[in-house]
Amino acid sequence: MAAVAAHQLGQCITCHAWNADLSMVAVCTNNNEVHIYRASPDGNSIWDRIYILQKHDQLVSGIDWGTRLNKIVTVSHDRNSYVWSLEGTEWMPTLVILRLNRAAICVKWSPRENKFAVGSGAKSVCICYYEQDNNWWVSKLIRKKHNSTVTSVAWHPNNVLLATTSTDGKCRVFSTFIRGVDTRDSTVGPSGDMKFGEQLVQLDLSFSWTFGVKWSPSGSSIAYVGHNSTIYFIDDVGPSACAQTVAFSGLPLRDVLFLSERVVVGVGYDCNPMLFIADNRGTWSFVKFLDEKKSSPASSKYGSQFSEAFGKFYGQAKHGANIDAVEPSKAPGGSHENCITCILPLPYPGETTVKRFSTSGLDGKVVIWELSNLNNLFSQLAI
Amino acid sequence: MANTLRPYLTCIRNTLAAAMCLQNFPCQEVERHNKPEVEFKTSPELLLNPVLICRNEAEKCLIETSINSLRISIKVKQADELENILAKKFLRFLSMRAEAFQVLRRKPVQGYDISFLITNYHCEEMYKHKLIDFIVQFMEDIDKEISELKLSVNTRGRLVAKEFLKQFT
Repeated sequence: MAAVAAHQLGQCITCHAWNADLSMVAVCTNNNEVHIYRASPDGNSIWDRIYILQKHDQLVSGIDWGTRLNKIVTVSHDRNSYVWSLEGTEWMPTLVILRLNRAAICVKWSPRENKFAVGSGAKSVCICYYEQDNNWWVSKLIRKKHNSTVTSVAWHPNNVLLATTSTDGKCRVFSTFIRGVDTRDSTVGPSGDMKFGEQLVQLDLSFSWTFGVKWSPSGSSIAYVGHNSTIYFIDDVGPSACAQTVAFSGLPLRDVLFLSERVVVGVGYDCNPMLFIADNRGTWSFVKFLDEKKSSPASSKYGSQFSEAFGKFYGQAKHGANIDAVEPSKAPGGSHENCITCILPLPYPGETTVKRFSTSGLDGKVVIWELSNLNNLFSQLAI
Repeated sequence: MANTLRPYLTCIRNTLAAAMCLQNFPCQEVERHNKPEVEFKTSPELLLNPVLICRNEAEKCLIETSINSLRISIKVKQADELENILAKKFLRFLSMRAEAFQVLRRKPVQGYDISFLITNYHCEEMYKHKLIDFIVQFMEDIDKEISELKLSVNTRGRLVAKEFLKQFT
């Protein structure tokens, strides 16, 4: 249970996205370019850069790679969005007029990839869909529902419901039913008769900004994080929702990932993925950090202990007041050295539980993680 | 005296570690702008509660946090008029060279002697723990520096007075 591989791709990575067969990865290195690498999640693979997508003129804030149609959507702080499609050996951009007047923050393809959602600093969410007649991506806005910037969006597997988190501390669920794009039979349950932009749920649990909303694989639960070092789990989203708040002692999280219905990984400012598991009664709790930190050699050796004491004594004698000073804080010392901002699943074909995932952070690394002994953990939890 | 410095600095260090969770955040009010929210304070929901850490009346430290920036304002110990003048001159000297320090603010916040402004860009370029070490080291050194300056001023004053009074003997 640890990092399999780490790839340094730049000074800073804001986000990354994998293609369908995990042979290519698109990363944004904290500037206006998107770099595509020929990559592999395997341990000792060598990644090389094959494309550079250059069209935005400010920081690219979100990338998503559609697995069905092999299209990349990028959004940027310059208020624009591009849909890139591979024609021959070239990636061709199509401009999407988002009709936003502030920066776009995040983007996600819907499960059927006929729509995508963009969260923005204009306190609104754009739902974009392709209009065949005009050969054009059209954007419909959900306005006046958020009181602040939309930090993340997540699609329900039914292709209609959209969950958002915002810096006003709330998590909301909207219907994004668009006539002509979605058919009535594609919608499941009570969301079928909802109009576009109707707010179904508003969760006001956090006292601080919220980030990183995700639906569970079945679409029955939501997880999101608050900046006050808490993670929220909402089961049975709807009128009879039941919410759980799990506070932890570390620094806040930024993003979460459902590995299965009962296992969640959260990443954030602690530079170390955190594992949360629900027990048989459905109670979520923090289990462990995934990264094994390289601890300094234990001071069990007689010699080192002595020299340590000697050093202390010597320092005291020489500097006097200096011994009073606070010792310098420690470097994180794990696979990531700065805040982790993005976590994505790397599923094995034909398996439902995600056992492999990749994280990227502000230290410029993409790290691949593999969970081998998940069942052991479950058995531990049962005891 | 010295033994109260340690909890004071530890407290500041821990507060900074918790507060320095910054991210890139474009302005909500002005198109295509990206500026430290803690300075402009245009959206109240993007600011966190400021933390004031006091060692005594004369020495305190204010930490204000927003989503993409963090401001640390420090009031250093000034026991008498001489220390007051020395601190003022010395910190002015530093503030005028703020570019060289990157995180130093050119003007201190009202009521404080020196201010630092840390943005998400600093956190991206530099190690967070090193940044915190820098601030704490700075606070440690500033007291030392001022008492050393005070000593040398006094020594010099005594020497000058001695030389001057020699002519009357």
